[in-house]
Amino acid sequence: MKWILMVILFAGCLLVGYLYSNKYKKRVDFFNSLIYFAQKLDVEINFSRERLKKLVEDFDEKAKSNLQGIDISFLKYLNEGGDLTAESLFRNKGLIKKEEKEVVTMFFKNLGRSDVENQTKEIKNSIERFEKLQNDALMEYKKFGKLGIKLGIIAGLALVIILI
Amino acid sequence: MRADKPIVIVISGEKYFLSENGLTKRLNEAIYSNKTTIEDIIFRASECSIYSVNEQIKKGFIMTKGGIRIGIAGNLIEEKGVIKTMTNFSSINIRIPHEIKNCSLKAFNSIYYNETIQNSLIIAPPGGGKTTFLRDFICQLSERNLAYNVLVLDERGELDTGKPNSLGNFTDIISFSRKIIGFENGIRALSPDLIVTDELSEKDDVDAIMYAVNCGVKIIASIHASGIDDFANKENAKRLIQEQVFKRYVVLSNREGPGTLEGIYNEKLSRSQLVY
Repeated sequence: MKWILMVILFAGCLLVGYLYSNKYKKRVDFFNSLIYFAQKLDVEINFSRERLKKLVEDFDEKAKSNLQGIDISFLKYLNEGGDLTAESLFRNKGLIKKEEKEVVTMFFKNLGRSDVENQTKEIKNSIERFEKLQNDALMEYKKFGKLGIKLGIIAGLALVIILI
Repeated sequence: MRADKPIVIVISGEKYFLSENGLTKRLNEAIYSNKTTIEDIIFRASECSIYSVNEQIKKGFIMTKGGIRIGIAGNLIEEKGVIKTMTNFSSINIRIPHEIKNCSLKAFNSIYYNETIQNSLIIAPPGGGKTTFLRDFICQLSERNLAYNVLVLDERGELDTGKPNSLGNFTDIISFSRKIIGFENGIRALSPDLIVTDELSEKDDVDAIMYAVNCGVKIIASIHASGIDDFANKENAKRLIQEQVFKRYVVLSNREGPGTLEGIYNEKLSRSQLVY
């Protein structure tokens, strides 16, 4: 019984550490996919001039899954109208910081509002901003993400030792 | 709709203001539009993708599904003499097309004469019913089983309303193409017997007409003019008149509502009893 409890405690600590670390990883994945999405838009708007809705719908499914549902919120806005705000876009998801949400919302708000030349200029500017956010997210991941797993393991081991 | 001005609705040539309770003649009940609403309408009309309709915007309009044309006013951005785009939209004019069944009937027997179609030009002022006339004429051909291969060169996307069978059973449609290119491609690829096209305006359009006629294809087209004299004074009309390209000129006006038939003229610009 004591051994089972130790295993459960160790696994629990490891899980908490993993979840903590995963939060930072998801942020990096989010910005990676967002940059990929913006680059794809840049190319498609320049060459195919396809409608925005179709471009969002056809975007790579795997990359879409990292976008925290903002593609769905954006499609809803394209289909139903209304205001596009950080709240309506992110639907209160806390993974992305408030100021980051504002930058991303501004990007989506400007989509489809100008001619090809200006639109692609805006997208390129946004990509630069996203790359900066991506770097910050990566630094945080390196700093806190890996630390989370290590702390989980140490805490788990500490508990096991205490119980022994 | 004009920024910060009352919304005006025109029905059968009569102007009304839009109020909360429908149409009104009273200015104090009118709803005012604003710049944001105008920009939003243009954004939505372009299916949220203004970049995809920039070529139309440069010409001052957007076509939406169903042949609805939205005319736009704003700041034209020009660079080295070339229009790049329009920004800062300030007004829009939404034209909703409609069918008027049999509106071309009075002129039908003049255009379809001696069991053949005569090259014809429909002349009318803006909003005078040219497009509606052309649309109905194509349907009349189809209803009579006059199996002409009809090529509709719909440069502004107004002729094709998108409704099923709105242009009959024997019609091919080339949309948003310049006439000279559309005519060449269409004649080469689709073997039309008749080409129907809207709003001749430039020298290129006249060249396209001459090309089609020389290929032995019949033409029915339309042009903006207030009457036969106004048409005859147009620079581009001179060549058409001189070479007697069109055998019939159908003049429409707004006198008793859009599509009022004012007269049908022959190739010498005179009315003959045979014609009307």
